[in-house]
Order: sequence, then C-alpha cells, then structure tokens
Amino acid sequence: MHTHEYQAKQLLEKYGIPIPPFGVAATLGEAEHIIERLGLNRAIVKIQVHAGGRGKAGGVKYAKSRDEILEVCKKLIGMTMVNNQTGPRGMSAHQVLITEPVDIAREYYLGVVIDRERGLPLLIASPKGGIAIEEESSENILQLPIEISGTIRPYQLTRLSNFMGWKGREGGKIAQAMARAFVKIDADLLEINPLVKTPDGKIWALDAKLSIDDNALFRQEQMASLFDPTQMSKSEVAAKQSDLAYVSLEGDIGCMVNGAGLAMATMDIIHHYGGKPANFLDVGGGASTEKVATGCKIILSDPEVQAILVNIFGGIMNCATIAKGIVSAAHELEIRVPLIVRLEGTNMQQGRQILDRSHLKMIIATGMADAAKKAVASIKSG
Amino acid sequence: MAYGSKFVGGVTPGKSGQEVLGLPIFDTVFEAKKQLHPDATMIFVPPPFAADAILESEDAGIPLIICITEGIPLMDMLEVSRVMKQSKTSRLIGPNCPGVITPEACKIGIMPGYIHKKGSIGIISRSGTLTYEAVWQTTQNGLGQTTCVGIGGDPLNGTHFIDVLEKLERDPETKGIFMIGEIGGHAEEETSDWIKKNSSKPIGAFIAGVTAPPGRRMGHAGAIISGGKGTAQAKRSALKSVGVFVAESPADIGATMLKAMKG
Repeated sequence: MHTHEYQAKQLLEKYGIPIPPFGVAATLGEAEHIIERLGLNRAIVKIQVHAGGRGKAGGVKYAKSRDEILEVCKKLIGMTMVNNQTGPRGMSAHQVLITEPVDIAREYYLGVVIDRERGLPLLIASPKGGIAIEEESSENILQLPIEISGTIRPYQLTRLSNFMGWKGREGGKIAQAMARAFVKIDADLLEINPLVKTPDGKIWALDAKLSIDDNALFRQEQMASLFDPTQMSKSEVAAKQSDLAYVSLEGDIGCMVNGAGLAMATMDIIHHYGGKPANFLDVGGGASTEKVATGCKIILSDPEVQAILVNIFGGIMNCATIAKGIVSAAHELEIRVPLIVRLEGTNMQQGRQILDRSHLKMIIATGMADAAKKAVASIKSG
Repeated sequence: MAYGSKFVGGVTPGKSGQEVLGLPIFDTVFEAKKQLHPDATMIFVPPPFAADAILESEDAGIPLIICITEGIPLMDMLEVSRVMKQSKTSRLIGPNCPGVITPEACKIGIMPGYIHKKGSIGIISRSGTLTYEAVWQTTQNGLGQTTCVGIGGDPLNGTHFIDVLEKLERDPETKGIFMIGEIGGHAEEETSDWIKKNSSKPIGAFIAGVTAPPGRRMGHAGAIISGGKGTAQAKRSALKSVGVFVAESPADIGATMLKAMKG
C-alpha cells in the first residue's frame, strides 16, 4: 500500500528523524494558514501523489514570496500528473505539501527494502543522493543486511558512516531509526531521498517514500487508515474493497480469471493473438458468487472494454460458482459486449448448464488459445 | 482423502478430542506428532497465524510442511525463512501454493486430482491454476506427470525451483521437467545457472507476465517488476540461454514439453 510523502514524513518524525517544518493544504485557505503558522516568505510546494517523478512533471515548485506561494498552490492543487509511474490515466493531487526551503551542501540516499535472496531487511545507502538510485553504479552503493529485529549493529553503523563520509553519529542514528520503523510498521519500502546536510552541518530528510506490506494491513490499523482511494481508479478501489486482485491496463479485452499466474498468462495469450487486455483480475480460490458478480461488474463498468474473457480452471474455485456469479451480474448490469467463457476443472459441466439455462448470449471456448482467439475476433468484427 | 492420501489427523487449538472425517483432532502439533508420527502436514491456517503454525510444525519436527495459505505478512516470512534454512528436520513448501501431488500415489494440496495422469514429467511451479493448465495439457498429450510441486507465489518461500530440480534429477521415473515461473525476483535466473551446471534431463518452461506492467503487484506478492528487474523477458532469456525450451504461449505448454522430450 502506497502512502503520500507527507504521511511518510509524519511517521519518520515520530521516530526522531529531522524533517523541515511543513504543512499540507487541500485548499488555498489551508495554504494561507500554513504560511502564517510557519512564517513562510519562501517555500517549496510539492504535489502529493502516489508516484515519483513529480519534479520532472512540474509538480514541485519553488516560490520566492508569500503571494507566489499561493499562486503556485493554485496551480498545483488538483494537478493531474501523467508519467510512466502513474499509468495512462494519471494521478491527481488533491493536496500539496508546503515547506520551508533548506540550503543543501550534500545529498545522500538512504533506503530500506526486503532482500528476497537473503531473507532479511536491507539498508541501501549512497553518498550520491537526490537522483534515481537504480541508475547509480554499484561502487556508490552500500548494501547492509539488517537483523530481523531492525537493529543495525555498531560495526555496521561505523561502516555506513565511513562510506557516506559522515563525521558525527547523527546519520547513523537516522539509519537506525529508519530500520526500526520499517520493521515495526510492516513496511516493504522506506526511502529518504535526498537526506541532506546543510552548509552549517544540519541534517534533514527532504523527501520520504513509504509503502506498507499489503499482507500486513490487518495488523497495522494506523497505517491502513492512511489509504487514499483518490490515487487509484474507481475500479481499483471497488476491487480492493471486495478483496479482489485487480490491475487496470490500457486495452479493451476485460479478463476474469481464477489464480494470479493463470490471470497473467491470460493477459499474455490475448496479446499473443493480437489483442490488448483491459485489466488483470484474479477472483481467487475461495471466491463466493457475490465476489464473482462484483468482479464482473467492475469489468463491465470500464468504458474501454469491448469484450470480456472469463478463463476459469476450477480447483478450489468451483465452475458453478463462477457461472452463478456471471448470471447474477448480468441481471443487474446489461452485458453489452461479447462474453467469451472458458470453463475447465471442478464442476465444469454444472457451470456450463447454469450458463446455458440463463440464455445469456455468450461464446463458449474450449481452451485458452480458443478463448483468446475468439475474444480478439469478437472485437474486430465490431 | 478421496484421492487416496493417508491423512491421519488434524490440529486446531481448542478442538482437541473432537473428530473430523473420522480422524482425531489435537490442540497442538506436538500432541499430534506424539500420537500419530506424521510424515507431513498441510497448513490452511489464516494469514495472521499461519507463520506460527509453520514454526510450530518445524519445532515439532514434522519432515514436510506444506503451507497453502496466501497473505502471510513479509516480516513473518523473514523469521520463517530463517528457521527453515537452519532446520535439521523439516522442509517447507509454500506458502501461497496449491501443494504437492504424485498422481495415483498421494495428494497433499488443493489441486483437482482427476486432471493428473501418472507419467514422466516433473512439474515445478510458482502458480496454482496455471499449473493445472500445464498438467491438463501434459495429461492430454500422453506425457503424464511424476510429481507436481507448487512452490508458491510469495517472494519468500521454503522451497526453490533448484531444490525440486535436484530431486527430479535423481528420480528415475522423471524423464523431463516443466517449470512455470512468473515475473518478480530472480529465482528463474538462479535456476538457469544451476541447470547449466547440473541438468541432464530435458526441461521446458513457461514464464507468465510478459505483458505485466512494471511496479504493479500482479496478484501474487512475489509477482512484481521492481526497478526494472524481474521481467518475464529476462527470465525467458536466461532459461533459453541454457537450453530450456521456453513456450511462447500458455496454450503451447504441452507441445513445448513434447518438443523438449524429442530434443
């Protein structure tokens, strides 16, 4: 689960990491209050969206006067950012973060992730902060495995400080605080980029990125409450509320599949036959008729969808349940596009019978290739 | 049980003394182990407590632990991974997997038994239902399966492709192997290195997610392209480069395996 920069900063403040004073505004009125409260006559204004690349997209601006701050806020509040991280529909900034600018002498990168290979949290550090860490060469990056408890050992902190060129203990304390926070809140990514040193030696975290392990939200109530539905498409929000795995894509063939691997393979085979999947949707193993119906409705509510492919290989998921779910959805919403159905596995015959008896117009497919070809053909014939 | 697998009992805290399907239920794995000496355990415990159940089974020394549960928090799996790596008694398969099946012998999992046919192909997969697709195609083209192992869709798990390949290499009944991978991590790349040095049997593979967008979790917690790494294309290349027959489409899994067997 993504969070906003301001939420990440609020959390890091709780762990003792120095953040320049800031406020968050959704309106010009709120912006004025912040300017008052912080006594600002210069500011950096940053759009709050669940994606990076804000600077390049014009979502981060420096304002030199009180009036200019308000002017900038007017432009940035409500700005829609579109880049390769937001997806084609882009993300809208309903809020901006307003903060006092800081003089930068040095920039560093600090991040904590889970290292899949080592099975440990991993601290990543670079004395070359401020830019994309993926593009940095390995001699400028230090990777330090951290104990599962979140403790960084003194000898590791020494190694870190030497690598970063830090003289005092403050940098190490910040890294330790990040590691502790990461473990405590079930994060899967925590980044400060850049961490800066001012000319007079003060250290600040100027930007923060925090993502929480979706699988842990059930035990992280406070983190879960930070969820911002405005940063996702309506379909994705509806899917999340029904506990359906759903990813919006750019195509016109809607997919409903049981199992993530099979769902990805279904997208792949549609593409193989010249089509474009409109979404990824995994209804999962134990889905009820209601959940299946909701999945159908979500797909049907996408205006780009010109055909729907249902690919089910029943194991724990029962073909009869899928069939009932489709019929139920069809009663509520007109299925205005070709529906291609491929059922295999548990209760396949029963499922087919339920669909036949419903008199719903649909195209039955016998295997994945047949289903994909028919779906693609159904769009071409208009 | 209907498949013929010899289940001997169950564990549910608080339900000791009860019976389900004619089998005794115990409060703890320790008690079940003492009474029944099981070789394996299948875990369906919900995510908040699943890691605890795995750790309990390892502590009780159950040799094979198969965890079906999807949704175990990453932090929990860090500890489970650590314990399982050092375990002297137990192997974990999963979590977030459909289980293991040796057709006509034993099924510990949620896969539909009837699609399987005893034969010569070992199947190793990160997926659940996509595995059934591979099984169905190899059953229909007559190859059949020796053992199918679902290693699961999570980024941290108990058993790697390589662990299963080592066993299938030594299994005289397994004449060919099919791997089903997906985007995320680099298990398939590491496996390619192993195959180059150690493999003697024909191997086919399909990698799901060629069309997956970067940075998005595609259902499985482990299926995510991060910082440009973990793409399906990279995995396909790595496998092809060591002589693995990589299927272009999921509908060609059976045909690809036949091709691999012909060499």
